[in-house]
Amino acid sequence: MKKIFALILTLAMVLSLTACGGGNSGSGGSGDGGATPPAGGSGDSKTYKVAMICDSSISDGGWGMACYNAMVDAAAKYGWDTEVSDSIAQSAYYESIVAFCDLGYDLIYAPGNQYTDAILQAAEEYPNIAFALLNGGADTPAKAANSNVTSLLPDSQQVGWIAGILAGLMTETGKVAFIGGMEIDTTKGKYAGFVESAEYVGQQEGKTVEALDVVYSGDFSASDKGIEFAKAMMDQGADVFFGDASAVDSGARQAIDEANAAAGSVKVYDIAQPGDFLGQNECIIGSQVTDNSGLVGLCMEAVENGTFGGETIFGTMQNGVLSCGKLSDLVPADVQEKYNSYISQVMDGTFMQ
Amino acid sequence: MDSAFITNLILASVRMATPLIFLSLAELYSQRAGLVHIGLEGLAAIGSLVGFLVSLITGSPLLGVLAGAAVGILVNMIYAYATINLCAEQIVYGMAINIFAPALAAFIYRVYFGAGSELVQVGLMTTLSALLGITSDNFLLRLLLEQTPMVYLAYGLVIFTAVYFNKTKSGLNYKAVGEYPKAAATLGISVVGVKYAASVICGALAGIGGAYLTTCYSTTYTDGNVAGRGFIALAAVIFGRWSAGGVLLACLFFGFCDALQIRLQVGSYGIPYQFFQMIPYIATVAVLTVIGMKKAGPKGVGKPYLREQR
Repeated sequence: MKKIFALILTLAMVLSLTACGGGNSGSGGSGDGGATPPAGGSGDSKTYKVAMICDSSISDGGWGMACYNAMVDAAAKYGWDTEVSDSIAQSAYYESIVAFCDLGYDLIYAPGNQYTDAILQAAEEYPNIAFALLNGGADTPAKAANSNVTSLLPDSQQVGWIAGILAGLMTETGKVAFIGGMEIDTTKGKYAGFVESAEYVGQQEGKTVEALDVVYSGDFSASDKGIEFAKAMMDQGADVFFGDASAVDSGARQAIDEANAAAGSVKVYDIAQPGDFLGQNECIIGSQVTDNSGLVGLCMEAVENGTFGGETIFGTMQNGVLSCGKLSDLVPADVQEKYNSYISQVMDGTFMQ
Repeated sequence: MDSAFITNLILASVRMATPLIFLSLAELYSQRAGLVHIGLEGLAAIGSLVGFLVSLITGSPLLGVLAGAAVGILVNMIYAYATINLCAEQIVYGMAINIFAPALAAFIYRVYFGAGSELVQVGLMTTLSALLGITSDNFLLRLLLEQTPMVYLAYGLVIFTAVYFNKTKSGLNYKAVGEYPKAAATLGISVVGVKYAASVICGALAGIGGAYLTTCYSTTYTDGNVAGRGFIALAAVIFGRWSAGGVLLACLFFGFCDALQIRLQVGSYGIPYQFFQMIPYIATVAVLTVIGMKKAGPKGVGKPYLREQR
């Protein structure tokens, strides 16, 4: 009797886990290990499928959410089916990708530089499946054995500039802060752009602006670390924040909102990315917006036309992938004017020249 | 390193230690009844999610905490039945809870909110200083008053546990079950009853520890927000030599190390951040190396109790 109970308990747990693995339960597929060619051709009535993997939650109010929404928007435009597997551990990157490949997905969308190794490995084993790596390295497609990898590379320096210009204009203490999730190239690029633009704009406006050293939470889901980092950085005098750490950024915003509430007025600000998150928190004064849906859409189009792979698609303000979100009323009209003027300089390539 | 740095470091340490205290007490109650429970991470994960959901639906963080405790008990009954009645391997079932409960939490979240929903935020439990309308820059007042009722509950439970295990007959009976259950049974103590009571307490405290994260600390829920605290709690119980006071000190130490690494990162000025991130882990290894050498835990921990066996 006891053995039967033990068996039932074990079965219940296994079945529950199977049900919980819903992220991988796509709507069927060929199951032929990726033998279906991704190129459909113009007369093909096939419904294409795209799958996204993500190590943070797609409900994180930041990176994961914006990237997921980008995929959904692009899929709606091109009539694709979507699936996602989020909050996955680093050890599960490859397995999650392969699971989707085995289910016959046409395009695997991995939003982050950290998936590079897993993508390259899977791309070699599944030559007929397309792999899109958002924030991948410029040289990553060349490393793929089967030319079935495309890097989508928003210009991280310009991302940093968009936030840094606003930070440089809005800081009153002269100290700005940046919270990173992991030390990856794109995050370092954003930080570098943020710092140089904030310092430059500060100089232009007759004030000294310095950035606190970049901090890293080590993951993208520890919102409590965001709270503690923000508190520590506010203690150091930081009054404008920017970050690249997903849910950790949400924690930072919570701490900033609490500090502002305690002070009785909003004196510490946050700049969000990569979607327009104005209104999500009181402290958000603007956003740097990346049109990832446009980039993903280009991949879908290439898959349908049979031209996918082997290239790096750069995203800049000039080609419309990067832009500025709406500004909060907390940004005075004259500052908004100056901000727009600096952004125009970025657009025409004269910023910091 | 000025006084403000130290003041804020201590306040952060208390904040970061509180969920650890609940989880460590959960482990302590479990181990004192002979049940080693490595599934706290899972119990806290489901407690965190349910606490968040109930707090969101009802608008009451307190109800969220109670719901977190209830779901912690419920899930822990799987572990209790398997290990107490079926005498299954405790480590294996603890690990199963660690895999099962967070997956269940992620599943419930996705079912409730759908994919790609907006960031959902809840109101947090009010601090005592806000309730009393007292604002002060005085360090002691901030330390004593800028806390939610859950913090006072955590420290109250530490005192209660210390008294219960050392000064009451019931507490000594409880500990006897963890030390030598067969001898306890000959004294008329219901070994199975105590083990079930331990599982209820463990589940409730672990659930509360998880719910604390989403009702008192962070306004959002994200998968993985327990972030290894369940395993640190295990270390804290060993570090604390299976005593309530020791566990409290261990939790404050671990909370301090985590708060320290965060604050040192902010002012690092060129020192690689990885160096600071290592601090909590190096401290854990160092402390366990020194403290963990002498076995001081309950003698019957981890062993199944077979009533019929001589």
